[in-house]
Amino acid sequence: MAPLLQAIDIGKTYPGGVVANNGVNLTINAGEVHAVVGENGAGKSTLMKILFGIERPDRGTLLLDGKPVNFTNPREAIDAGIGMVFQHFSLVPSFSVYENVVLGSEPRTGVRFDRQQAIEAVRALSEKFRLSVDPLPPVGQLPVGQQQRVEILKALYRDARILILDEPTAVLAPQEVEELFVAVRALVEQGRTVIFIAHKLPEVLEISDRITVMRAGKSVGEVAAREVTEKSLAAMMVGREVALRVDRAANQGALACEIKALKVTGENGATLVDDLNLRVHAGEIVGLVGVEGNGQSELLEAVAGLRPIAEGVAYLNGKSLAPLTILERRAAGLASIPEDRLARGLATGASVAENLVATRLDDRRYVRNGLLDLKAIKANTEKLIERFSIRVGGPGAAVGTLSGGNMQKVVVARELSEQPKLLLVNQPTRGVDLGATQFIWRSLTEARDAGAAVLLSSADLSELLALADRLVVLYRGKIVAAFVNSDDLTPETLGTYMLGIATQTPAEMQGALR
Amino acid sequence: MIELFMTVFSATFFVTVVRTSTPLLLSTLGGLVADLSGALNVALEGMMLVGCLTAVIVSVFAPWYIAVLAAIAAGALLGAVMAFFHLRLKADIILVGFAINIFAAGGTVFALTLATGGDKGTSINLPSKAIPALDLSFLGVIPGIGHTLVQFLSGHSILSWVAAFLVFAIWYFLYRTPWGLWLRGVGEYPAAPEAAGIPVNAIRAWSLLVSGGLAALGGAQLAMFNYVGFTRDMTAGRGFIALGAVLLGARHPVGALLAALLFGFFEALAVVLPGLFNWIPAELIRMIPFIVTVLALVLFSYRALRARQLRTLSKI
Repeated sequence: MAPLLQAIDIGKTYPGGVVANNGVNLTINAGEVHAVVGENGAGKSTLMKILFGIERPDRGTLLLDGKPVNFTNPREAIDAGIGMVFQHFSLVPSFSVYENVVLGSEPRTGVRFDRQQAIEAVRALSEKFRLSVDPLPPVGQLPVGQQQRVEILKALYRDARILILDEPTAVLAPQEVEELFVAVRALVEQGRTVIFIAHKLPEVLEISDRITVMRAGKSVGEVAAREVTEKSLAAMMVGREVALRVDRAANQGALACEIKALKVTGENGATLVDDLNLRVHAGEIVGLVGVEGNGQSELLEAVAGLRPIAEGVAYLNGKSLAPLTILERRAAGLASIPEDRLARGLATGASVAENLVATRLDDRRYVRNGLLDLKAIKANTEKLIERFSIRVGGPGAAVGTLSGGNMQKVVVARELSEQPKLLLVNQPTRGVDLGATQFIWRSLTEARDAGAAVLLSSADLSELLALADRLVVLYRGKIVAAFVNSDDLTPETLGTYMLGIATQTPAEMQGALR
Repeated sequence: MIELFMTVFSATFFVTVVRTSTPLLLSTLGGLVADLSGALNVALEGMMLVGCLTAVIVSVFAPWYIAVLAAIAAGALLGAVMAFFHLRLKADIILVGFAINIFAAGGTVFALTLATGGDKGTSINLPSKAIPALDLSFLGVIPGIGHTLVQFLSGHSILSWVAAFLVFAIWYFLYRTPWGLWLRGVGEYPAAPEAAGIPVNAIRAWSLLVSGGLAALGGAQLAMFNYVGFTRDMTAGRGFIALGAVLLGARHPVGALLAALLFGFFEALAVVLPGLFNWIPAELIRMIPFIVTVLALVLFSYRALRARQLRTLSKI
């Protein structure tokens, strides 16, 4: 039997000269879950965009049911039975679930949009594929996991035989991942085919039948999920053996940062962080666990001075941070790696050298008499590029031209160029390849061992479990659980608290809230 | 004071309010359609003004309804120009809008000079026509209320009735047809309709065309009913008030109607007040509609802010 979908020797070079795909082969059989794995920048997304008609390949052939196809836009791919769920959802927030599902292919009677029929269709679909979601509320009010179901329903409503899921688990809590997998299995049972893009290997091994591995724009192999291990798969992705392990803190120092009864409110008056008490000691990493949007970012921003504190205090080495400006906080030993490197961490149009010195414009070494000492700045940049092995043409290159991993290294280099006393870290390795992840993790643990107190937030639970010495779980701005990290601690345990299903008593938390 | 109340609650005053509201309502509906598609049409003012002049000049040579249609076409053409620059050439829509306003302010005077043979201020020596008023005096035969009905309903411009119908038609289009859903989706989050294969730019372009046509229709009412003839800058900021009325009307057709009536009411007041209070400088009275616009918008933003706060509070 001919494969359902086949890509043969696909090549794609973007106008900037970036070779995204260079000889990619992919064979998808009907009724299977096929994972495509690879590091960031390996060319997965480009390949999917080609399959879905967003990008056109420079060379190579696409075969659907053994016949060559050539999609010039997503509409043609949709009509051919291919559906795609992007990492960033394309849903209109104020529209109801059913309006979003049928948008573009509405049932009509005359010129009138037949709402009743649309609602019925959505109900029927969600029952058939076990994707339970109420068709009536606006999608903007739904949690992320449900929004994702709406996206899947959208593709199914258009009769997608092949469903491409682009990193679907990146935004989900462990329990939601389980529910998604139930739905994926239901889809396959009903004869649909799923292409699953991912980089979290345990999930890939759990859900997929076969796996295509991509590296540097090429497909380097296709394996059956039963026949590989996490380790051998990682080696295929990176091209060498990788060890993503870090050492725990050897010793813990004195109290560095104390947060007391902290309350943070949003612009609209909503409480984002509520009565939060936390102590961080020199030489330890405290992980903030939680589904995104439960106050982790706001907590870090309030301590960093990017957001006002409504009530309560945060002390750094016994000194209240509240009256200090951001610069004064930095002078007191605070460093911050923000969540969004493009929006808050870097000026993408400015050079690497300028970005590296941006937080030190009151430092006599780089600025004298109100003038920049370009020679000193350049020397400093070269030193940091060397130390953090940033891959860049030179100190004068614009940061925006760097890859995600190297951009993040610039942020890390700037924040760690001087040993901080308190280091705030938010999503340090989001969108960063494995090699850079390894490097950034090591930089963080080195800063910790040199005596920094580290507060770390990450959407990636495995990152938190790998790095943190203690973990606190936030749910709706409150600490609902606290753990001392150990090998027994599993993502599932954390997930129960992340979703607010369970809450520890103050006595239970006591041990881990030193 | 009693005189003022007598005036405000009279049938004549009601007819005046409808007359002053109609151009505003048509222009507001135009602003609404563009705004909901995600293209803020700041050129309503210029489109209205071009609509005024086109209607006046064409009516010299053709029947009134041809003149009205010509005005719509002129407005739609400006909408198409806007769409071309904004959507095809990717120019900033605010800048394109202001370019059209400036073009309209200068271009209408230039065209007026050519048409009148030298007059730069008014079209007073052009025999332009008026839009007929709809005579409903036959309702007078209804016993009891007939007389009142005639007083309130008769004598409005045909375009006032058209505008009232358009409120319903646009509401039906936006909330009851698939294309209305598309338009609102395009305005709120273009990535979603785009992913569903809906031509986002085509929808915005059509919205701008319709927007221009509606604004110019408002202009036709202004220059062929409220006043007969063209005066330079005769729209006097009505296009900008309409832009405010879109927001004040909570981006909904019925809201647009209410907002237009509110502004029309104060404009009508500015018409009758100088006769009643001759000790107040007429300039001050003519400022009333504009001051009301600013106050209404401030009040509206404040209320929207409060409502958002209350909503989030109730959710917690």
